Amino acid sequence: MSMPNNPDNYGLRLVTRYVVLTVIAIIFAFPLVFMIMSSLKPDQQLLADTSSLKAFLPVGDISFQNYENAFSRVPVGLFVFNSMLVTSVTVVLSLFVCSLSGFSFAYLKWRGRDLLFSIILATFIIPFETIAIPMLLITSKLPWIGLDGFSIGWLNTYRVQIVPFIADGLTIFLFVQYFKDLPVELIEAARVEGTTWWQIYRLIVIPLSGPVLATAAILKFLVMYNQYLWPMIVVQQEEYRPVMVGLQYFFQTFTKGGIAWGEIMAYLSMITVPVLAFYLYIQRAFIASVAATGVKG
Amino acid sequence: MISPGFGLIVFFIILPFLSAIILSFTNQRLISPNPTEYVGLANYKQLLSVGVLTLDPKRNSNGAVVRDKNGALKYPRLRNFTRNNPQYPHIKGMRELFSWNVGDNQRTYILARDVVFIKAVINTLLFVLIVAPGQGGLALCLALLINQKLRGINIYRAIYFMPVVVSIVVVSLLWRFIYDYESGLLNNLLSSLTFGAFESVNWIGDTDFALGSIIVMSIWQAVGFHMVIWLSGLQTIPPSLYEAARIEGASKWQTFRYVTWPGLRNTAVLVFVVITMQAFALFTQIDVMTNGGPLDSTQSIVFQAVERGYGKQDISGGSAISVLLFVMVLCISLLQRWLTQGRS
Amino acid sequence: MAEIKLRDVHKSFGKVEVIKGVNIEIKDGEFVVIVGPSGCGKSTLLRMIAGLEDITQGTLEIDGVCMNDRQPKDRGIAMVFQTYAIFPHMTVRENVAFGLTINKIDKATRDLKVDEAARILQMENLLDRRPSELSGGQRQRVAIGRAIVRNPKVFLFDEPLSNLDASLRMDMRMEIGKLHQSLNASMIYVTHDQVEAMTLADKIVVLNDGKVMQSGSPMELYKEPANMFVASFLGAPSMNFINVEVHDINEENVTVYNPTLSPIKVPHKGRDISKKSQAILGLRPQYLRLVEPSDGILNGKVILTERLGAETIVEILLKDGKRVIAAISEDQILSNGKEIGLQFNPKQVHLFSSEDSKFLSENRK
Repeated sequence: MSMPNNPDNYGLRLVTRYVVLTVIAIIFAFPLVFMIMSSLKPDQQLLADTSSLKAFLPVGDISFQNYENAFSRVPVGLFVFNSMLVTSVTVVLSLFVCSLSGFSFAYLKWRGRDLLFSIILATFIIPFETIAIPMLLITSKLPWIGLDGFSIGWLNTYRVQIVPFIADGLTIFLFVQYFKDLPVELIEAARVEGTTWWQIYRLIVIPLSGPVLATAAILKFLVMYNQYLWPMIVVQQEEYRPVMVGLQYFFQTFTKGGIAWGEIMAYLSMITVPVLAFYLYIQRAFIASVAATGVKG
Repeated sequence: MISPGFGLIVFFIILPFLSAIILSFTNQRLISPNPTEYVGLANYKQLLSVGVLTLDPKRNSNGAVVRDKNGALKYPRLRNFTRNNPQYPHIKGMRELFSWNVGDNQRTYILARDVVFIKAVINTLLFVLIVAPGQGGLALCLALLINQKLRGINIYRAIYFMPVVVSIVVVSLLWRFIYDYESGLLNNLLSSLTFGAFESVNWIGDTDFALGSIIVMSIWQAVGFHMVIWLSGLQTIPPSLYEAARIEGASKWQTFRYVTWPGLRNTAVLVFVVITMQAFALFTQIDVMTNGGPLDSTQSIVFQAVERGYGKQDISGGSAISVLLFVMVLCISLLQRWLTQGRS
Repeated sequence: MAEIKLRDVHKSFGKVEVIKGVNIEIKDGEFVVIVGPSGCGKSTLLRMIAGLEDITQGTLEIDGVCMNDRQPKDRGIAMVFQTYAIFPHMTVRENVAFGLTINKIDKATRDLKVDEAARILQMENLLDRRPSELSGGQRQRVAIGRAIVRNPKVFLFDEPLSNLDASLRMDMRMEIGKLHQSLNASMIYVTHDQVEAMTLADKIVVLNDGKVMQSGSPMELYKEPANMFVASFLGAPSMNFINVEVHDINEENVTVYNPTLSPIKVPHKGRDISKKSQAILGLRPQYLRLVEPSDGILNGKVILTERLGAETIVEILLKDGKRVIAAISEDQILSNGKEIGLQFNPKQVHLFSSEDSKFLSENRK
């Protein structure tokens, strides 16, 4: 570590550091900038611009025409609504169910608790893609009692996109770790006062669990909003499709002159920019969430 | 209290997992007129059978070797051996995976009954072997870079992390455009930056480049995630240790070697295991960008599992692939356990 | 107000036994301090009384009712934790009223009780603050306030002062003493600090390795420690121990000596002791006086002097290599290496068996 006893040298080093940091930042940012800029240009100009730095600048014939076209090709509003509905319902249910399970693992003593917990930890290493097909078979035969009566089969519904993802090992694990780090005296003090476990959960533990709730919610949000394979195989009806599956629409009907990249970039921007903006707005929480999984693991 | 959470896990993770194991021993198809039967290890045999065959070149009646127009040696057709040849029952129905010359004129063939699957396994292992150290190491470099106390460092950290927030589906499609042979950003930009000296590469359409291109993109997308995990590991190292090292006059490298790295051991195991597991699950990039092509050069295990189980409705075959993948991942996590236990 | 009886109480965590048959009786309104080194099981014992840990074996009675299987809230106890355990997301008022709110006491009664507790603890002005705005001592008051409003039969304190700094610790110690006087409730107080034990307790229970070493009033324990553990645990600096041999016994005195110690006569007190046997002499540092080497019962060299103002602690190296600490009740300047003699009143020494380190006296059964 150089002290600024040699100001020139120090200044130079500082500049070098920023140059390195900036070059790397460009590597991470250029595809996304390119995506957004391209979405504003007609296909012809878009392709021409790729051979110069204009690709990253909003220059030339700038319009929202691609967005209009994307809207006419894909029911964007419906898909965004579906994704938001599925994502938010899953996040809320997941927080509730997993925090309750985590609470039980962390504080209650019951037979077989440790065994069950190790089973839950073991589910970490099952990649979702490997169980997708058997899960398809299972969900296609599950019964359901809804407002419209009894039915068999969950395919082409919201619930098939929600229920299987409510509980997962990682989320439960995060809650267990966080709860175990809370001062145990708080729980004991409450017990001495005569609280029920439910009261401890609701009045003591959950109010103190802001950070882990945020972590779990953010991670679940990312997983759910980005769902691709599962909705692709369980949802055949447009009515229930989420945003990622909507991408297929751009390849099913070819436009003249090959793939309509401008429209695709517009659609990608539409489904990505809000999430990116949200991320940049609360980036500290996002990054803290990921960091939390690291420290705990 | 436990029941809803655990019940859901049992129902939607463990039950499908167990049924994958059971199905892998049957001949179940998604829709089939025939009843499902137990077939033992047939699916696994079909997937994993490999054979080796060494052939002498073709000789004419004089006993001289036969060469083709280009002067290359000619060999007997493989199908003479693999199709209904009673002398070679162990390689019945197999096809060539790859081959090379040995000795004077002989040629050795590696054969597999399910060539596509074996290719998928090789590609996946290759992907894992490059991505795990590459992404893990790069993430560590970024973490060390971002761990400096500089004005505005959080902005850089936020930018490096940005691709993580973007869906891998979006990233794959975006990069498919960037990698495009004729109209792609990468070729055009490189070509104009080198004033035409750069010769366009068919990044994802050329067997030599396709997997590599996907690897680069995958690292670009996920490296920020592991940077943050390294960073959280770095921040658990007490500053007093660095101060002590400074007082002792340790160089930057010595400080890293004796202070930073030992403090990162558990993080290191975590990072590499997580990357390895994610890499084994390689699917979306393939599905969006190449569908396994060109010439199966980007097939992956999970892509094959989904393609067979869903695309070809061969549920038992897809399940067997899933089980095999699970076994591989299990080995990795047992290795992790062994590594971390040995230390604590 | 309550009587508490622990009868042959045991506690095991898995195969490890941490409480090994403890018997304690606590009278109504008594202030009992359980004291011992860390890891002796004292906190576990308190948590068993509170109902936070199961009792592996033995019984706990409060007012004649067996409490072994009762929930904490049904035992009529209130507990104050070392780390205060006040809920960070609630105001002081909400914290103090927590137990009442849980038990659905109406708001008017709640406010009345909270205000009363706040008055007793002089923290009326803190009621609307958050715990994060409070100092350590104030947090401790809140924790005590939460205990008071429940009107418990027994107060349990688990090292309540050990997270406070020294000056505050003394203030709070006095306040707890006053609180006991004004509430006149039974209190069980766990600490590792012998000063807290000596100053607060009606009765001290010294615990070591899961067993009661001795119980009784502070002065009883100080003057007649049942064994070397109690003798060395109570009193600061710790008691000095010197190995001696019994030289002679007669009706009134026991004469002991060792090569560095001139023979001294200790009152016989009917000690169970025989001639030529080995024993251990216990000397409290406060009972040692510095004299000229020629007048000393013990002689040695000064190796360290700590001047505390009103008191001087002197460490003396004896001829046989043993070290002895003396606490002189005045300021003295002594140079290191100075030859010095030590005097003491033979009536103020303690004699222990060198076999089982028990106090040698007629009381020994």
